[in-house]
Amino acid sequence: MSIVPKETIEVIAQSIGINNLSDDAALSLAPDVEYRMREIMQEAIKCMRHSRRTILTTDDVDGALNLRNVEPVYGFTSGGPLQFKRAIGHRDLFYIDDSDVDLKDVIEAPLPKAPLDTGVVCHWLAIEGVQPAIPENAPVGAIAAPSNGTTYEQKEELPVDIKLPVKHVLSRELQLYFDKITELTLRKSDSTLFKEALVSLATDSGLHPLVPYFTYFISDEVSRGLNDYSLLFALMRVVWSLLQNPHIHIEPYLHQLMPSVVTCLVSKKLGNRIADNHWELRDFTAKLVASICKRFGHVYNTLQTRLTKTLLNALLDPKRALTQHYGAVQGLAALGPNVVRLLILPNLEPYLRLLEPELLLEKQKNEMKRYEAWRIYGVLLRAAGQSIFERLKNFPPLPSTPAHAIWKSKEKVVTEAPTLNNIHASR
Amino acid sequence: MENMQAVNSFVAAYLKKKGFKEAEQLLEDLQKESAPIDFHNDPDLAKFIHHFSQSEDDVARYQDGYSKLRSWTYSSLDLYKHELLRVLYPVFIHSFMDLVAKGHLQEARTFFNAFHEDHELMHSRDLQKLEGVLSQSHLEEMEFARSLRQNKVNIKICQYSYGLLLQYLHKTQSTAMLGVINEHINFQVTSGQPGSISDDTEVVTLIGSCQDAASLINQKEIHWGLLEDSLEERLEKEGGLLSDSEKAEAENKEGDVDDSKKRSVEGGKQGASTKKLKKDKAVNATAKSARPEAKPTPAAPRVKPELTLPVMSTEVEQSILEDLRNRVQLSSVALPSVSFYTFLNTHNGLNCSSISQDGSLVAGGFSDSSLKVWDMAKLGQQAGSSTLQGENDSTSSEHVAGPNGVKRSYTLFRGHSGPVYSATFSPLGDFILSSSADTTIRLWSTKLNANLVCYKGHNYPVWDVQFSPVGHYFASSSHDRTARIWSMDRIQPLRIMAGHLSDVDCVQWHANCNYIATGSSDRTVRLWDVQSGECVRIFIGHRSMILSLAMSPDGRYMASGDEDGTIMMWDLSSGRCVTPLMGHTSCVWSLAFSCEGTVLASGSADCTVKLWDVTTSTKAPKNEEKSGNPNRLRSLKTLATKSSPVYSLRFSRRNLLFAAGVLSKNV
Repeated sequence: MSIVPKETIEVIAQSIGINNLSDDAALSLAPDVEYRMREIMQEAIKCMRHSRRTILTTDDVDGALNLRNVEPVYGFTSGGPLQFKRAIGHRDLFYIDDSDVDLKDVIEAPLPKAPLDTGVVCHWLAIEGVQPAIPENAPVGAIAAPSNGTTYEQKEELPVDIKLPVKHVLSRELQLYFDKITELTLRKSDSTLFKEALVSLATDSGLHPLVPYFTYFISDEVSRGLNDYSLLFALMRVVWSLLQNPHIHIEPYLHQLMPSVVTCLVSKKLGNRIADNHWELRDFTAKLVASICKRFGHVYNTLQTRLTKTLLNALLDPKRALTQHYGAVQGLAALGPNVVRLLILPNLEPYLRLLEPELLLEKQKNEMKRYEAWRIYGVLLRAAGQSIFERLKNFPPLPSTPAHAIWKSKEKVVTEAPTLNNIHASR
Repeated sequence: MENMQAVNSFVAAYLKKKGFKEAEQLLEDLQKESAPIDFHNDPDLAKFIHHFSQSEDDVARYQDGYSKLRSWTYSSLDLYKHELLRVLYPVFIHSFMDLVAKGHLQEARTFFNAFHEDHELMHSRDLQKLEGVLSQSHLEEMEFARSLRQNKVNIKICQYSYGLLLQYLHKTQSTAMLGVINEHINFQVTSGQPGSISDDTEVVTLIGSCQDAASLINQKEIHWGLLEDSLEERLEKEGGLLSDSEKAEAENKEGDVDDSKKRSVEGGKQGASTKKLKKDKAVNATAKSARPEAKPTPAAPRVKPELTLPVMSTEVEQSILEDLRNRVQLSSVALPSVSFYTFLNTHNGLNCSSISQDGSLVAGGFSDSSLKVWDMAKLGQQAGSSTLQGENDSTSSEHVAGPNGVKRSYTLFRGHSGPVYSATFSPLGDFILSSSADTTIRLWSTKLNANLVCYKGHNYPVWDVQFSPVGHYFASSSHDRTARIWSMDRIQPLRIMAGHLSDVDCVQWHANCNYIATGSSDRTVRLWDVQSGECVRIFIGHRSMILSLAMSPDGRYMASGDEDGTIMMWDLSSGRCVTPLMGHTSCVWSLAFSCEGTVLASGSADCTVKLWDVTTSTKAPKNEEKSGNPNRLRSLKTLATKSSPVYSLRFSRRNLLFAAGVLSKNV
């Protein structure tokens, strides 16, 4: 009938000294007890709402009892959650575990630490409708992907993390994070942990204070570690991750980053062992450069022109090493077919004249050099082919004959003309 | 003839049982002296009487009848189903209460448990209340149940559905159901097609105890226009002096204003006047486009103040004018900046917070009866993190040294003897009012750091207190189901607004100070005339307790937020809901309109501040009847805080949004 069983009424009656409560009395009391309880709860919920809470506490119940002019129930306001225990021998009789406390212990115990005083701190929740990525704000990504549980994330959950945004003072958590990342980059760049770190760099908010430190770290390590291929690659990966992070505004630091990145693209020597696949590093860096130009090109309109100038200078300087030429071509090619058409194609003819002796077995005895030359040749073919292909795509009704015609006219470069056409045909 | 005998004996048994001795006697006499009356031969009637006598204690027919009615409704035609479903809920609760009233408590409980799930979705809170009704005396005692039983429910239903229902009831002889329906439901039969499912508001309100009264009250005329000769108006005029064309425009506007004033005095038919105004606005549109920073709704009618307003000093006036000139225009594309104040280490004790007009002072009311005020300008200096842009008037609250010499960062106001539930700053920031569970309201001075007055009048905890937009007057609301209007210089209330059926949880002043709005646990919002103390509007539509209210600066609209996270925009003149704003998942603690009324900000227990575009509604009023529902208000942005429920919001005069919340671990 009522959610309050009559046994409960009997137990309560016994506890206040009424031993012979009749069944009928208990039965008719039970519904009323339930009704009064609901009434108290209704008032308690009101008190809870006006205390701006969504969790009901014993204070609210006391408040509700107060509203009804009933003496509050003492002894429940302090302490942790109450534990109900089942009475031995009874199936549905519960009591609250209330352990005895020795008064002497309480008196002799040292005073507890005073609780921290209430304070107010202030931060920007939004600036003109946009939430700045500061530690005080909830990370946007963290809500969507809670599985991103790196050590850093867990630390961020702690309320102690809320710090005043004091300039140039990094929180301890951020310092630890920075140390960890740099150590991974320097020592264990092939571990899975480093991959995790890269993901964290690419997604975590609140990393912005670290960006200047990272840029300095990268440029420093690049200038020092040109002989260490794996380090360079790891550093470029870090740059890539930082660029991916939507919470970081990296624009102000681009001018510091770009030299190191370009170095990894067109440096004469990257890594000191033959086994180091520096071509791959150059390819990766070329992609990186292209993505930077694509993203920030419209903000810094001089960015791309300066970059192409550097690359073109590297390419057209016959004194530079072939590896540098390779990087330059790759970098230019990554910037898109238009750049190739405007900058590489006009210079193709003189450059090939320069390259030709390096390609031939009889003229270039050094096999390494010859290999490098062929590599450049391949990249050039690809770049030129890509550019022409893009052009052709704009004229769908025309078959590949016009291209053929163009290249027919360049009779001098006999060797490559058919190959190029073959590439076209094969696409 | 046998049949006859049976009927007579049933009737006799019935009368005996009911204790109608005289009638019984009379019947016996009648039987003896006269031949049986021939209408007893009517088998239908016999059956009916049969039903009555035999099943008087047969409570199963409620259960039976209801379950049959239910399955019939669910299998009825799709087109009419939702209308018929509306009938089910009142039948259900009244059947339940009838059973309780007749003393069949066990059966009532089984009945309730069997069918309450059907209505959980729409009426969970009502059902929770009713579930507690366990005896006849509870029915009497519980106001909700009493009002339900005393009032009839209005249900709009189309001709055909009504026919279907009657046919069914007659065919199946379910007298119990028929009785409930006759006794408690008032059908408003409309001809033509059944209504659409979307006007479900009626379903919610059909429990409203005073629907007729409400619609009657909502007929009353209200003048929602802004005050004459307000500073904003003056500013506009000042701007008009700059050049000839603008001057002309300003005059034009004034003409507008006069026009509309006259009209509202004449007829008070706001609908007509707004339509006219719209036309006028269209004429003005070209002129206005030349000056992009013009106010979006300059044509709001002006009204005279009903209260004597306090006089403003010229310096204050100047500073306000300065603020108005420097105001950032907000719109759906230009969102406000939000400065967030986070309370730390409150140990679950903060009950409310309030932010002064310029954002420099933040007050918090605590459950340990204290009121603490922080001067953010000084705090900023200390921590080196001042983020306020010169809006801080330097107010002089000293940093009080604690008892043990440790400097506190706040000013502590002690005086209440119960949890402080609400605090409000006067418009100039020199006074604070706080309301508490000790039934008093206290006035504090931020200049003197002292308690000035203690206002006693309420009999129960005072849930909310709000200064009027002009200062001096304030309104309070309490658990004693009243709202009261006070002035600072009297310790007795000036007006008592009584009428809510449950606690008055929140109160808010209208922009022109002639009205106050109150939100209550009875799930209605009421608008009261300050001068007469009468209720002039009842807004019905919320499904749970109202927690927050906000008035649009042009005085035309009101927003209210409830426990479930629903925000409703109301048109004050028509008393109807413009549109509900859904999005929050928990209690909406605070609402605020931007100064030109284009953006509504809402702060909630789900740790977000949401910004809503309300321009669509304010620019094109009154056309929802014509063209469906074009003014969908939309959510512009959700700003998530870091596990801090948002307690209060405030737009500064320059349209910077201040928000305050508590960093809490368990949210």
